[in-house]
Amino acid sequence: MNIVRRELWAHAKLLLYWSLSMSAFVWMMFFEFAAYYKNPEMVQLIEAMPAEMLAAFGMQYANLTTVSGYLSVTVPFLNLALGIYALLLGNNIIAKEERDKTAGFLMTLPVTRPKVVSCKLIAAVISCIILLAVVVGSILVFTLPYEVESEFPRFLLLVTASTFVFKLIFLSVGMLMAAATRRYKLSGGLGVGVIFALYLASVLTGLSESLAFLKYITPFSYFAAPQLLQALGFAPVFLVVSAVIIVSSLVGTYLMYGRRDLYV
Amino acid sequence: MNVINFEFKKYVGSLWFWIISLWSILVMFMAMYPVLARDAALVDLVLQHYPEELLRAFGMSGGLSLATVAGFFAFVFAFVQLCLAIQSAYYGFQFLSVEERELTADFLYSKPVSRSRLLLYKYVAAMAALLITNIGLIMGTFLSIEWFRGSMVYDVGVVISLLLSVPLFQLFFFSAGFLATALSKKITSVIGPAVGLAFVLYAISALQRIVGGALLALVSPYNHFDPNYILQRGDWNMPLVTLSLVFIVAANVVAYFMFMRRDLHAAV
Repeated sequence: MNIVRRELWAHAKLLLYWSLSMSAFVWMMFFEFAAYYKNPEMVQLIEAMPAEMLAAFGMQYANLTTVSGYLSVTVPFLNLALGIYALLLGNNIIAKEERDKTAGFLMTLPVTRPKVVSCKLIAAVISCIILLAVVVGSILVFTLPYEVESEFPRFLLLVTASTFVFKLIFLSVGMLMAAATRRYKLSGGLGVGVIFALYLASVLTGLSESLAFLKYITPFSYFAAPQLLQALGFAPVFLVVSAVIIVSSLVGTYLMYGRRDLYV
Repeated sequence: MNVINFEFKKYVGSLWFWIISLWSILVMFMAMYPVLARDAALVDLVLQHYPEELLRAFGMSGGLSLATVAGFFAFVFAFVQLCLAIQSAYYGFQFLSVEERELTADFLYSKPVSRSRLLLYKYVAAMAALLITNIGLIMGTFLSIEWFRGSMVYDVGVVISLLLSVPLFQLFFFSAGFLATALSKKITSVIGPAVGLAFVLYAISALQRIVGGALLALVSPYNHFDPNYILQRGDWNMPLVTLSLVFIVAANVVAYFMFMRRDLHAAV
């Protein structure tokens, strides 16, 4: 428990900065929503559209004049930021002992290495939950002025759950990288490269049918918010893929960190 | 001069990595241009029958068509900017803080060279590294466009105008890192804040490109130097560029004075 508490405090300032900037992001996001919300010209045009055509549009694009539709467009960008946070946190929480030259101290304490990893994992998950709560809380606060649709609560719940899984993926991958590489500088660079490549892959999936297979590779596409809004449920295949990634990364982290030479 | 040489040599190793990353992004995306341009032209054909308001309501409005060289390059350049931002911010957070983190500060700052001189040398070396990245970017840009554009034509002038905005864009992120170093007691991790800053601002600008809005555009330098805007009109969005310039100047001035009176964290 001491280690968990210490880790939480060690990352408290970082969490504060991220919480502040993410709530500012959500605030700006809904500030711009005012131009769309029940915009008479847009609503008129949408209502004039034949139902089939609207359905065809809605499959691919979200209706920005509704709270849920607008949120579904913005979620990928919130996720991008939250994913980065989780990856960096996972990386940092493992690597920092060697970087700050505190590994020697930590490892002489009467706790096993798996125990250390578990404590760090718990602290990181708690941080992720706090940041997610801040983001969802800001969404709730800044949507107060608007009248939400009947499906909004369920949609927000789905977004929250999917974002949480999404963050766990990046958190576990970040921890795995830090545990697998000996040099903390390398693991940081590797993490950035991976997230950049995955993000590019998710952009490419939308561009052409022939690139659609990439959506199984990049977590950014696992919980595409427009589809969540459409189906109001998860695609089981992606839940399975996510679980496989998270579990195997964590197992890898425990195994590698347990037997690695630490740089002191 | 010794300091500049020494500093610059440390950049050379990572410069290759950055330039090759930029080239890979450019070539990988531009290679898809011939195929995607055909798809995009079909989509344009369908979309042009819809009223502008409707497209806006579904977040599909504005900007250049992906079927044109300029439109597609604007799309690609957003990722180039993301990469440049990470690099510049990384250098900005790193170039001064590294001495204190690796406990070489007391060695360096006890040399018979004034602190402002040392700062100048380090600054010049970082600028040289960013400039070389820039040259690599210019080469990569024209090579990849010429390689894959096929029979499509584009205006070289506007692409040059876009590339000329890159130094200011780099300087924005570099200055942000410099300012953060000067203001904080200790920078423990460089990659974290650099990547966080680059990606969060990117996320804001990417959202802005879909939903529009003045407030989001004010915040993010990616919007100040929006490739879509520059490639469409051939000139810069002056009010927003001015905002960037003001930030750069203010950040550097404040960071300079803060750094001059800083208590350096030394070994022992």
